[in-house]
Amino acid sequence: MAVFEATGIHKRFGSSVVLEKIDLQFETGQISGIMGPNGAGKTTCFNVLTGRYKPDRGRIRFEDADITGLSPQQIAHRGISRSFQIMNLFDDSAVIENIMIALPQFYGDRKNIFRSAFDNEKLVGGAMAVLEQVGLSPKAWEPSKSLSYGDRRALEIGVALAANPRILFLDEPTQGLGANATLKLSNLINELRERYTIVIIEHDMNFLFDLADKISVIHWGQVIAEGSPFELRTNKWVQRSALGEVA
Amino acid sequence: MLSVNNLEKIYTKSRFNRTPTFQLRADFAIEEPSIVGMMGPNGSGKTTLFELITGSNTPTAGQVLVDGKNIHDVRTDERDRLAIHYHQSYQVRHFSSLRPNFLLNRAGCDYPKVHLFDEPQFNTQDGYIGFMLDFFRKLKADGRLVFLCVHPNEKFHLEIMQEICEQFVFVQSGTVSTYPNFHSLTERPEVKTYLGKLLFEEQIA
Repeated sequence: MAVFEATGIHKRFGSSVVLEKIDLQFETGQISGIMGPNGAGKTTCFNVLTGRYKPDRGRIRFEDADITGLSPQQIAHRGISRSFQIMNLFDDSAVIENIMIALPQFYGDRKNIFRSAFDNEKLVGGAMAVLEQVGLSPKAWEPSKSLSYGDRRALEIGVALAANPRILFLDEPTQGLGANATLKLSNLINELRERYTIVIIEHDMNFLFDLADKISVIHWGQVIAEGSPFELRTNKWVQRSALGEVA
Repeated sequence: MLSVNNLEKIYTKSRFNRTPTFQLRADFAIEEPSIVGMMGPNGSGKTTLFELITGSNTPTAGQVLVDGKNIHDVRTDERDRLAIHYHQSYQVRHFSSLRPNFLLNRAGCDYPKVHLFDEPQFNTQDGYIGFMLDFFRKLKADGRLVFLCVHPNEKFHLEIMQEICEQFVFVQSGTVSTYPNFHSLTERPEVKTYLGKLLFEEQIA
């Protein structure tokens, strides 16, 4: 049963049609991939699914509730988190601080503004638990600007996880990463699949083909193909491409 | 499904100097869902024909019927629900009409009947070709009419056309001709000249 479902999504900006008729379903506990060439509408699709843009037509449903047109904050409150293609971190703050301010209890427990958040054991413990999940607990007290690019990606995923989501959307997580960092990230996402439903937009086909249970190919603002990596790889032209050689 | 009736588009030097600089003429009909290959040299009028079919360009004479509706009598904000033009890497749809929308007809459908793909970027390295071709097949199976415009400059372009297209349209110097299959298309001397070495390589292979 699909936990998240988008039906007949249509989006245009002025005379530019970006999404024509998008139908997507994401199953509980699976990693779903969205891939497509540059300009295919992947990020716009992500922005519509996570509430940054309102669709012109179509419906979005999450856990049996219609979330079409809700604000990003309302959508986040319902258990949907996302990361961004361009990282949004507080560079001058410690790694753990980036997580702490993303924890929902940070706002609930901060009644005394004169007391340091670091004195709150629940907050620090909660943040450390998130950092544990993304493998950054040994670097918790380092300034986030000192992290490698790969660790910064992991921290961004940690910030998204701090909200305790049930579904996690990752926008081009391998962007700017080298081969080793990409492998590390792939291992991290593989570990997270036990606990979360994950949706990844990705340009790097090999990364998705290794990780995803199901892939939707977007082009011309529409889903032009869909299936498991195995099913997509059986295509004659995929076999002829560089992707087929990897397979 | 698609009727292009005595369609004519004439571009003139200016509004006052009516000397024609380019003329496009087309008269054909396609009744059943199909995948139609379109070829022709640069500047022959392929994109103009697509624009006339989608209603983003106004004909000098004649009419285009999509699913029985004159596309130029349909509301400008709903024309892309009947026929859509996929440009190479972006989708800009600009429609204008001297008549306001409230005097025009509704499209009467939500998803286009005719899909016109204008020189999609095919790259044998990334595997997307296979997904694109499957999408064309799916559109046809859903009862849509697909036009695939390709300007072949590599052997695999002809391979794609042969694999997927069931009938062909050849546009040259504003004249539109239709052919029922790849063989009848490539028999024509003007097509042989246009394809040149590519066709020879195809026949050897």
